[in-house]
Amino acid sequence: MAGSASTGESPRETRTVAIDAEVLAGKRFAYQEDMSLVEDIDLLAATPGQDINWLEDITLLEEDGVPAVFDRYSNSFLKIYFDIPEGREDEIARKVLIKHLTEGNSYGITLKDIHCKFPQVELGPWVDESPIVGTDWKQPVLEGWTAPAGH
Amino acid sequence: MPGSGSRSGVSYDARGLVEPHADMPTNIEVDGGRARFDASALTIRQVNMALRKLIYNDGVTDVTVLNPSSKHSLAVGILKRCRIHFEGSPGWFACGLIDGPEVTINGRVGWSVAENMMSGVVTIERSAGSLTGAAIRGGDLIVKGDVGARTGIDQKGGTIIVTGDVGINTGFMMQRGRQIICGNAGMNLGDSMYDGAIYVAGKVRSLGVDCVPGDWTDADTELIERKFRIHGLGDAPEFQKFVCGKQLHNYDALEPSERKLVIH
Repeated sequence: MAGSASTGESPRETRTVAIDAEVLAGKRFAYQEDMSLVEDIDLLAATPGQDINWLEDITLLEEDGVPAVFDRYSNSFLKIYFDIPEGREDEIARKVLIKHLTEGNSYGITLKDIHCKFPQVELGPWVDESPIVGTDWKQPVLEGWTAPAGH
Repeated sequence: MPGSGSRSGVSYDARGLVEPHADMPTNIEVDGGRARFDASALTIRQVNMALRKLIYNDGVTDVTVLNPSSKHSLAVGILKRCRIHFEGSPGWFACGLIDGPEVTINGRVGWSVAENMMSGVVTIERSAGSLTGAAIRGGDLIVKGDVGARTGIDQKGGTIIVTGDVGINTGFMMQRGRQIICGNAGMNLGDSMYDGAIYVAGKVRSLGVDCVPGDWTDADTELIERKFRIHGLGDAPEFQKFVCGKQLHNYDALEPSERKLVIH
């Protein structure tokens, strides 16, 4: 499995100790392989304030020997498979991450529609317009379960 | 509502909301993309409900809240780009968990302003209490005054700027990000920090465990000059830089999943 590390000899004993974004999504995204898809992203426009704000802490890292950017919204690494020009490492990492977030592909975003308890924007602050989720949350009810007396 | 009930006479619902009075405020003035309302007679929940409705549903991008009256937990969890102005002083945990807003507070704040902020800009025109910027993960937090103890405790990113003095244990267990302190720092600066940088222009009462002077680079100069420029703070004083001595914690020995939890 891409992005995971296995321990033990049988499938039954396999456990995942590191997860990457494409494992969570079940697929690899085109912008992980094609730099032209992220080149025109405006990082200043995608962030609050007069500089790149929170993206200042986003840098190009490495996961499983592959260049990667960390997606804090899903606690996973998003690997980058194209060649990154020297001197543009952090810029490209930030652009890939913003592309991932604006397209709603971060696993944390995909969970929002089902699990948000309170109204909030689905896609986050990196887009101007976003659907609102969490407006009709209902408490999950386990079939056959009844509340203990007094609750 | 499913799951609602009563404990000790207080109503609560399944989401954990316990404040019973949840009627939308009727004193909101909206003018195009701008809105303003007086919070003095409103509950905490009403203020936050109004902010969410205006920003999420009504297309308002600029909200002024008059008379926050030291109420706690105002403007928490706003996850959209917008501008929020407080005319007066909020209480504890103002602007916690925000992701995107640019907030100005024309007053003081209590403990833990902007705790866990993900992105955005929070500017406080006067002083702030302890735990300012606790566990902040990104964005800029500017305090134009003094702050209490443990500023930026568990900081995981972002930039905290204090134009005055900071108290004891500033930067305690700081893991990433930057602190720019124009005044003096109390005892145990940067105690047990993992990473990040603390810049101090005044005197440091004492350094904490594993906090050591760091080498100044061009990137430090660029950062300081840029932050002072964009936040209108005038000419930057001369700073000394402090970093982690890397003797207390061994990053490289951590498993990748542990490292993620530590630094992000």
